[in-house]
Amino acid sequence: MKRKCALLFLVLPVILSAFITVEKPSFEIPPNWPKPVYNFSKNPINREVVSLGRALFYDPLLSKDNSISCASCHSNYNAFTHVDHKLSHGIGDSIGIRNSPVLMNLAWSPTFMWDGAINHLDMQALAPITHPREMGESFTNVVQKLKKSKLYPTLFKTAFQDSIISGERTLKALSQFMVTLISANAKYDSVMRKQAQFSLQEKNGYALFKKNCASCHQEPLFSNYQFENNGLPVDTSINDFGRMRVSLLSADSLKFKVPTLRNLNYSFPYMHDGRFKKLSEVINHYTNGIVKSKTLSAKLTNPIVLSENEKVDLTAFLLTLTDKSFVFNPEFAYPKHILLNTLNN
Amino acid sequence: MFLGIVLPYLHLCGQEESSIKLKFQPALEKVSLELGKTFYINGNTDSITFYVLRFYISGIQLLLNCEVVWRDTSRCYLLDAENEKSYNISLKVPRNLMFNEFNFSCGIDSTTNVSGAFGGDLDPTNGMYWTWQSGYINAKLEGKSSLCKSKDASFQLHLGGYQFPNNALQRVNLPIASGEMLVNLELLQFINNINIAEKHHIMSPSPEAVVMSKTFSNSFKISR
Repeated sequence: MKRKCALLFLVLPVILSAFITVEKPSFEIPPNWPKPVYNFSKNPINREVVSLGRALFYDPLLSKDNSISCASCHSNYNAFTHVDHKLSHGIGDSIGIRNSPVLMNLAWSPTFMWDGAINHLDMQALAPITHPREMGESFTNVVQKLKKSKLYPTLFKTAFQDSIISGERTLKALSQFMVTLISANAKYDSVMRKQAQFSLQEKNGYALFKKNCASCHQEPLFSNYQFENNGLPVDTSINDFGRMRVSLLSADSLKFKVPTLRNLNYSFPYMHDGRFKKLSEVINHYTNGIVKSKTLSAKLTNPIVLSENEKVDLTAFLLTLTDKSFVFNPEFAYPKHILLNTLNN
Repeated sequence: MFLGIVLPYLHLCGQEESSIKLKFQPALEKVSLELGKTFYINGNTDSITFYVLRFYISGIQLLLNCEVVWRDTSRCYLLDAENEKSYNISLKVPRNLMFNEFNFSCGIDSTTNVSGAFGGDLDPTNGMYWTWQSGYINAKLEGKSSLCKSKDASFQLHLGGYQFPNNALQRVNLPIASGEMLVNLELLQFINNINIAEKHHIMSPSPEAVVMSKTFSNSFKISR
């Protein structure tokens, strides 16, 4: 008890000094964006923890046979998805049932996965790590492997001031790296900040977008994070009914999370099962391919009508969501300086 | 200002505490559970072996005549048959506190379920977190029994679920007479009160998991 009292005297000046020194936040909300949903008070951003999370993200040690890392299906050069692969790949050439989603602006996402099965970013990594068709490893074993490695005890010590390696710290470090993946520097963003102007075609496309697409793909994140049935016919070789698997409600049949449209030129193929390779196929689906069913989104009951010229204009606008500085940000790339040094260990 | 903050704390430092010891004891027909040991049950007509028994206890409260007089908000406890020390829960309560009842949740509350990663007993490396769908497993029972109609006579009961309508969290109320209490978990009563012949594999939140969780929580009894 006495020790606790003494501790208070020691801690108090530190608490008071925190009010005097205002530190620059390491996570900045882009101008005019809403507040993130991620609770930073439970996992305050720290440069060293981000760096640990980045190493973990790129380390195949997280998979059962040390062959696959998070980045295998979430490559930075493809806006953190697996370009040109319809369905995600896992250990031993196994193939999953869904297209790997892009990773960006995750601090604003209230749920994860196409069906929202994961309720918090911290817990997201558990799903691919343990899935037999993805990384196929038990999480307990991942933490054991980290403890035995030459690299991680030092990285954890730098990040957390002691070298204790736990599941909680592993997950929180991955979260810290992932929340730094902010894409807010596309031409669209420059236009919104009045630093650039749309071409005439892009301007027309923006008007068409606001009329036909923006109710689900809400600005500035280009998703409303809701679950919708967008009228895709069921692929009977997969029979994926989306959110219904999680909620067990027939009202959720064929509903999938509305994905962001940011960086879509890097993230093909499209849809939860990667069935469309080209953006033109996606637009044609919305104008001509909607399959009506009980759970079809109310926003799609009236047909979307676009002329060929309008489709070109809409595409021009959608390409303004391309953020090269995000995709080629060296801070987000494979951390050679950390991981290559230990390859032979 | 300094005195204002510190004085009430000093006052607390001076207050004396006493401890309450709860010991949980999983048992079959009054014989303590041993993992891997085959128990012959129901007049030796059936057999059952447990390989895994793990469950959470959280939100412990002490009551006096139905009024809550003390609350343990600090933590959740993972009780694991592989580590019998985990059966003992020691609570520090103010001295001279009067109470005649206690209660607890058998599992993890919904707020904790949606608040990301935690350490200690809640660390996902304990194998009590679902990975394909977020949520803690409140109780995990695995083994084999001649009662099961599964191919290899195995059972795997992973009871959990925090979302409406399949919220499986149950509250258990028990009388308490002294500072040291033995709480039996009567596993045979649980097994005989669920249809384990047919319901031998429960691996996700469902109405069946809710019903089974109620039966599990009703299997905690104060030793007489």
